[in-house]
Amino acid sequence: MRQENRFRPLRTGDIFIIILFLLSVFFLPKKHGEKVIVSVDKTRTFVYPLNQDREFIINGKLGTAKVEIGDGRVRILNSPCPLKICEKKGWISNKGDFIICIPNRVVIRITGENYDAITE
Amino acid sequence: MQSLNRIAFLSVFTAASITIFVVESLFPTPIPGIRLGLANIFILLALIYYGIKEAFLIGMLKSILGSLILGRLFTPSFLFSVSGTAVSIMVMWLILKSKLPFSLLGISIIGAEAHTMAQLILATSIFLPGISFLYISPIFIISSLITGSIVGIITYLIYSKTERRFKFCVD
Repeated sequence: MRQENRFRPLRTGDIFIIILFLLSVFFLPKKHGEKVIVSVDKTRTFVYPLNQDREFIINGKLGTAKVEIGDGRVRILNSPCPLKICEKKGWISNKGDFIICIPNRVVIRITGENYDAITE
Repeated sequence: MQSLNRIAFLSVFTAASITIFVVESLFPTPIPGIRLGLANIFILLALIYYGIKEAFLIGMLKSILGSLILGRLFTPSFLFSVSGTAVSIMVMWLILKSKLPFSLLGISIIGAEAHTMAQLILATSIFLPGISFLYISPIFIISSLITGSIVGIITYLIYSKTERRFKFCVD
C-alpha cells in the first residue's frame, strides 16, 4: 500500500525546498531602525535616537560599560563581563536587532517608530 | 505476535533515540543550542513504519527521559525540546501523508526546520518579547538545513537496508 517513489533518494520537492530555505535567508525583512533602547536589569530603560552620534556609559550589575552610537549603528565598546560576547557582536543597525550582556544585565535593542517595546 | 513485535521495536527505537539524544547533548558544538538531532532518525522511521501515534510516543519519551537523565527536566530547554519535537512530528506526518513530491531527505529537512522554528518562536515569545524571531533566524535556518540533510541521508540509508525485514513485522 506504500507509495514506493516516496522512498527514492532524491525527488523534485527536495531540491525545491533546499533552494527555498537557502534563498529565504537573503530575503528576510531587514529594516533600518530608528531608536536605541538600553535597559539595565529590566528596571532602568534609556532611549536614544539612532541618527545622532554619541558615546555614553551605562552602569550595569558588574560595572560600567561603554556604548557607542555612530553612523546609525550601535555597539558596546567595552564591558566588564568575563566572556565579552557583547563586544564581539559588534555593530548592530537593523530593527529588531539586539545586544545582550547577561553578566552585566544590559540589553540593547533597536526598534522602529512605534513605542511597543518601551511601554513594558 | 504483531503487537509483541510492535512493543519490541518501539522500545528499541525509544532506547536508541534516548541514547543518541543524551550522548549528542554532551558533545560541544560551535554554537550553543545547535545539535545534529540524530534522534530524529528513529522518529522518522517510526513515522514510516508505524504512524503518528507511535512517533509521538517515541518523541515524547525521548524528550522526557532524556531530560531526566541530563538533569534538566522542566527547565526551559526541556520545554523547547518537547515543543520542537511535537511540531516537527506533526509537520513530517502531514508531508508523509500528502502527495507532495518529497523524499525522506526533504521530509527530514522540513522536520528540522519546523523543530527550530517552533523553538525560536517559543523562545522569543517567552524570553525576548518585542523581538521578532525572524531577525535571529538566518543562522538557524542554515544550520537546520545542514543537520536535516545529514539526518535525512542517514534515515534513507537505514530505511533502504531494513525495509524488507520490517515489512514482515509491521504489515
